[in-house]
Amino acid sequence: MSGNGFLFFLTVWPMEAALLAYIIGRFSKKGRDLFADGAVVLEFALVLALLLSGLLSAGASEFWWEGFCGLGLHLELDGFRALYGLIAAFMWVMTTIFSREYLAHYRNRNRYYLFVLLTLGAVMGVFLSADLFTAFLFFEVMSFTSYVWVAHDEKEGAMRAAGTYLAVAVIGGMVTLMGLFLLSHTLGTLEFSGLLSACRTVGAGEKRALYLAGGLTAFGFAAKAGVFPLHIWLPKAHPVAPAPASALLSGILTKTGIFGLLAISCNIFRYDPFWGMAIFVFGVLTMFGGALLAVFSVDLKRTLACSSMSQIGFILVGIGLQGLLGEENALAVRGTLLHMVNHSLIKLVLFLVAGVIYMNLHKLNLNEIRGFGRKKPLLAFCFLMGALGIGGIPLWNGYISKTLLHESIVEYGALAAKGLSVCGTAAFWKGAEWIFLISGGMTVAYMTKLFVAVFVERNQERQEEFEQKYKSYWNLESKFAVVVPALLLPVMGMIPGLTMEPVAKLGEGFFGGGPLAHPVRYFSLENLSGGLISIAIGALIYFGVIRTILMRKGEKGIREYVDRWPAWLDLERMIRGIGKGLLEVLAVLCRVLDRTVDGMVVFARKTTHRQLKEDKIHVARNRLAYAMGCFLEWGSEVLNKTVRRKHPVEKAYVRRLMEFEEKTVRTNRIIDESLSFALLLVCIGLIVVLLYLLWLR
Amino acid sequence: MEQDFLLLLPVFFPMAAGLLMLLPFWKKAGRGGKRLFVASSLALELVFTILCLTGGERTLVLGQLADSLQICFQVDLLSRIFALLSVSMWLLVGIFAFRYMDHENHEERFFGFYLIVEGALAALSFAGNLISFYLFFEVMTLTSLFLVFHEGTRPAILAGLKYLFYSVAGAFMALFGIFFLSGFGGLGNFMPGGILDGGAVSDQPGLLFASAFFLIVGFGAKAGMFPMHGWLPTAHPEAPAPASAVLSGVITKMGVLGIIRAVYYVIGPDLLRGSWFQTVWIILALITVFMGSMLAYREKLLKKRLAYSTVSQVSYILFGLALMNQTAFMGAMLHVVFHSLVKNVLFLAAGAVIYQTGKTRVSELSAIGKEMPVTIWCFAFASLALIGIPPASGFMSKWYLAQGALASGTGAFTWFGPVVLLASALLTAGYLLPVVIHGFFPGADYNYSALKKQEPSLLMTIPMALMAAGALIFGMFPDVILNAVTAVAGGIF
Repeated sequence: MSGNGFLFFLTVWPMEAALLAYIIGRFSKKGRDLFADGAVVLEFALVLALLLSGLLSAGASEFWWEGFCGLGLHLELDGFRALYGLIAAFMWVMTTIFSREYLAHYRNRNRYYLFVLLTLGAVMGVFLSADLFTAFLFFEVMSFTSYVWVAHDEKEGAMRAAGTYLAVAVIGGMVTLMGLFLLSHTLGTLEFSGLLSACRTVGAGEKRALYLAGGLTAFGFAAKAGVFPLHIWLPKAHPVAPAPASALLSGILTKTGIFGLLAISCNIFRYDPFWGMAIFVFGVLTMFGGALLAVFSVDLKRTLACSSMSQIGFILVGIGLQGLLGEENALAVRGTLLHMVNHSLIKLVLFLVAGVIYMNLHKLNLNEIRGFGRKKPLLAFCFLMGALGIGGIPLWNGYISKTLLHESIVEYGALAAKGLSVCGTAAFWKGAEWIFLISGGMTVAYMTKLFVAVFVERNQERQEEFEQKYKSYWNLESKFAVVVPALLLPVMGMIPGLTMEPVAKLGEGFFGGGPLAHPVRYFSLENLSGGLISIAIGALIYFGVIRTILMRKGEKGIREYVDRWPAWLDLERMIRGIGKGLLEVLAVLCRVLDRTVDGMVVFARKTTHRQLKEDKIHVARNRLAYAMGCFLEWGSEVLNKTVRRKHPVEKAYVRRLMEFEEKTVRTNRIIDESLSFALLLVCIGLIVVLLYLLWLR
Repeated sequence: MEQDFLLLLPVFFPMAAGLLMLLPFWKKAGRGGKRLFVASSLALELVFTILCLTGGERTLVLGQLADSLQICFQVDLLSRIFALLSVSMWLLVGIFAFRYMDHENHEERFFGFYLIVEGALAALSFAGNLISFYLFFEVMTLTSLFLVFHEGTRPAILAGLKYLFYSVAGAFMALFGIFFLSGFGGLGNFMPGGILDGGAVSDQPGLLFASAFFLIVGFGAKAGMFPMHGWLPTAHPEAPAPASAVLSGVITKMGVLGIIRAVYYVIGPDLLRGSWFQTVWIILALITVFMGSMLAYREKLLKKRLAYSTVSQVSYILFGLALMNQTAFMGAMLHVVFHSLVKNVLFLAAGAVIYQTGKTRVSELSAIGKEMPVTIWCFAFASLALIGIPPASGFMSKWYLAQGALASGTGAFTWFGPVVLLASALLTAGYLLPVVIHGFFPGADYNYSALKKQEPSLLMTIPMALMAAGALIFGMFPDVILNAVTAVAGGIF
C-alpha cells in the first residue's frame, strides 16, 4: 500500500459503515438511521475536502495496493473523479435522508441500508479507479450489491425485473472481462495512463483487434449505462425499486457505466473518429428510443426511467463527438460532462418527487395518481424545476449542456459541409441534428405530460381525498432532501459562468479536452433558437400526439392516458425468449453428450452383454441361516437356563439371520449383475497376472 | 539415496487409524470417544504432513516390484500443494462430518474409510513415479468406494458401482498408457519437465501421443472429463454430504494430479505441444466445461447440480493444463486450490440444508436464507468465487487461464477457449445464484411469523465459514498461493 490513503478510505469507509449500520440496526432502528446519515455525510465532507485540497495543490493524488487480487488496486483522484465522487456522495446523502420516511413501512430495512452503503463504497471505487481492472472490480461488486435494491420489494414484478437486471449485469460483466483479457494481452497494461501510449505503438494489423477488445470492454459498461439495445433492464428495474434507489440507479449507477465508456473513449480511442462515430450512432439510437418510450409510457417512474435512457443517449452523443472532433473537442467535452452532472441532479429531484407520491398512494399509474399534486405548491415547484431542467428550457441547467452538445453537432456538420469530416455526409449530420432537436422536443412533451397529469388535472374520483387526507404528505427530512437539490437546478442554469463553467473545467484533464477557442454565449439568439425549436416541437408533440392519440375516453367518460406501445415490441421479453430457446437447444445437445458413455453401456447390456436371468431376485438358500439361527437360539436358551438365569436374553436369531442373509444376497446380486463387477474381476485378475509375471521374470 | 522414513507416517498412520476405526469394538463406543479419536487422527495427520513438507526434498524407496519397478515416495513442490490441500480439506470436512453423520448409521465405518482414503491421498501426493501413483490410485478408488456405498440403499450401491466402473475403466486406460510409456523410459522418478528418452520418442511419436491420450482420458475419468464424467452426477447425490464434498473437492483433484504427473513430469510439455493430442485434449476439456455447466443449469436436484458443476469446473483446470504454457498452468493450479475450497463449501452447505430440513430440490429452498443465514451466506460467497466475480478467488484463476489461452498459440482456441470459459461462468451464475436469491428473497407474500431459525451447530458452520472465508481471502491476497504455484511452474517451463 502506498500513496494517499484517504482515497482508499473513501471506498472502504462506506463498506465498513455498512457492516456497522447492520449491526447497529439489529439493536436500534433509530440509531442505524442516524448512523447511516452520519456515515454518508462524513463521506461527502471527505470528498469535498479532497476536492478542495486537490484544487489548491493542483495535482492528482494516487493510491496503490500492489498485489490485491493479483493485479493490484490503483486509485487516483483528479478533477473529474473528485467531481463525480462528490456528486455521488451528495446523492447518497439526500437519498439516505429521504429513505427514512419512504422506507418506514418496509420490511428488511437493515438489508437495504447494508447494501446501499456497500454500493456507495463500490461506486466510489469505480469513480476513483486509475486502471481498468480496479474499475471492473468495483463495477462488479456494485452490480451485485445494487441487485438487492431492485429486488427489495420482493413482489413478483420486482423479482423478475431484478432478475433481468442481474442477468444483464452478469452478461455485461463477462463480456467486459473478455475485453479486458484481450486488452491486457494486446497492450500489456490496463492503466489508464499507460493505455494511450500503448495504443499508439500498436501496429496497423492489431488495430482491428483493438477495436474488438475495446468494443467488448465497453459492452458491460454500456449495459449498465442503458445504451440501446442493452437498456432492457432499465425501464423494468426503476419502477419496482424503492424511489431513493431508483434515484441512485438512474443518477449514479448509469453514470458508472458512462465512466467506463469514457475511460475507454478518452484513453484507448482518444480522438479516434471511427470509435467516436460508433458511439455517436448508439447515442442517437438511445436518445431517440428512450424519448419515444417515455412519450408512450403511462407510469410515472417508468417515464422517468425511459427519460434516463434518453438522456444517456444525449451524453453518448457528446462522447461520440469528442472522438469525431479530435483535438478541437472542447465543446463536446464540456457538453458531455455538464449533461452528466445535470442529469444526475435532475433525476435525483424527479425520482424523489415520484417517491413522495408513491409513499403516499402506493400507485404510479398516471390515471390513478392524477391530480395528487394539486394544491401542493412546494412539491409542484420541485417537480417543475426538474422538468424544466431536463426539458432544456433556457435559464435552467439542462439548457446549458444541451446547447453545448447541439453546438458540437453543428460544428461537425459544418466540417462535413466543407468536406473535412472523416465520417458521414453533410446530410447525415443535418439529420442527426434534427433527431437531436426532436428528442429534445419529446423530452419537453413527456415532462409536460407528467406535470399536467399530476399537478394540473383533477382526479375525477379521489380529488377531495387527495387534498384533504394527504395534506401533510412528507416530513421535514424528506422535504429537505427534495428541495435542496431542486433549488440547485435553476441556480446553475441562471449563472452558468459562475457555476457550470468551473465544473466543466474540472473534467478537462480526464477527458483530454482543450480550453474553449472562444467563450460560449449561452443566451445569444443563435443558441436560444435551438432550445426554442425543441420547445416548439415539444408543444407540437404534446398537443398533436399525447393529448389526441395517447388519450381516450374511458368507461366513465373520463379521458385517460393509454399505453399504446405494442406489447410484442417489448425488447426484454423478446430477448428473454431468444435466450430461453437457445438454452433449450444447447441443453439437448449437452444431454446427448452427457449420455454417450452411459448409453453405450446400456446398449451393450441390452444386446451383447445381456443378462441371462433378468427376473426377480429370489432368496432361496436360507437353509444355512435357518440352521445357524436354530443353533443360536438353542444355545441362548441353554445359557438362559444356566448362566444368565437372573437376566435371560430373548432374541429371535432365526429371523435376524435370515433378514441379514436376504440383504446380503440382494446386495450381492446387484453387484454380480453389474458390468463393473465383471470389470473389477478382470482388473484384479490382470493385476495378479502382472505381478506374477514381474516376479518370475 | 538417503531414505527418509518420515514419509511413511502421513501415508500409513491414517490407514492404521482407519483400520482401527473399523474394528467392531467401536460400535459400542460413545459418540464422544469416536469423535475424539477421529479428530485427533486428522489433526495428527495434518501435523505429520506439514512435517514432511518442510525441510527440502525427501525421498523414500518403499520396495521393488521388479528390477525396473520401484515403489517410491518423494516430496517436491507439486506434492506440497496437493498434500497440504487434501489434508487440510480432510480435517475441515471431517469436523463437519461429526455432526452430519449423526443422522446416518455406521458412522464408525464411514470414518474408518474416511481415514484410510486420507492415507491414500497422502501417498498419491508423495508418489514418486507412475507405478507408485497407479498403485495408490487404485487404493484410493477402492476405499473411497465405501464412502459412496455408505447409505447402503439400492441407489447408493448402484451409484457406487457406477463410480467403480468408471474409475476402473479409467485406471485401465491409464495403465495402458503407462505400459507404452515404459518403453520410452517413463517409469523413472518424476522430474519437472519430463524424463522421457528423446531418441526413443522421436522414432514413434504416434505411440507417444496415443499413450498420452490414454493417460489423460484415464486419469480424466477421476477428474470428470468428458467422456468419462458419468459417475459424478450419479455418485454425488447418493453419497453423504461430507463424502460428496471431498469426492468433488479433493478426489477429483487426484485425477488432475495424475494428469499433471504424466504430462508435465514424465512426458514433458515440449514433446506434446502442437500435436493432435493437444488439440483433442483442448476440445474434450472445453466440451466438458460447457456441457457440465449447461447440465447443472438444467438440474433440479441441488447436489446433482453441484456435481455437474464439478464436472465443468475441474475441466477448467484441465483446459489450463492442455494449453501447456506457464500462465495457463498457473491458472490451472490456482483453480485446483480455489475450486477445492469452493466446492467443499457448496457441498457442505447443501449437506447442512439436508441435515436440518431434509430438502434436496432447488425449488424447495425458498426462504432457506432466512432460516439458515450463515450457511447460505457461505454458499453465496462460494458461488461468487466460483463464478469468478472479483475480488473473490475464482477470478484470479480465470484471469490466468484466459491470459494463458491468449498467449498459447493454439489457433482458434486462443480466443474460443476464454469465450467458452466465460459462457460457462455465465451458466454458473445461472445455476448458483437462484439458490441464494430465492433463499434470501422469499417473495412479498412470505409469512415471516412462520419463520423458524434452523442454523446448524457450530461444528457444521465453522468449517464452512472458514473455507468460504478462504475462498474470499485467497482471492484478495493470492500471494502465498501464487508464489507456490509460480515455483512449480518455474520448474516445469
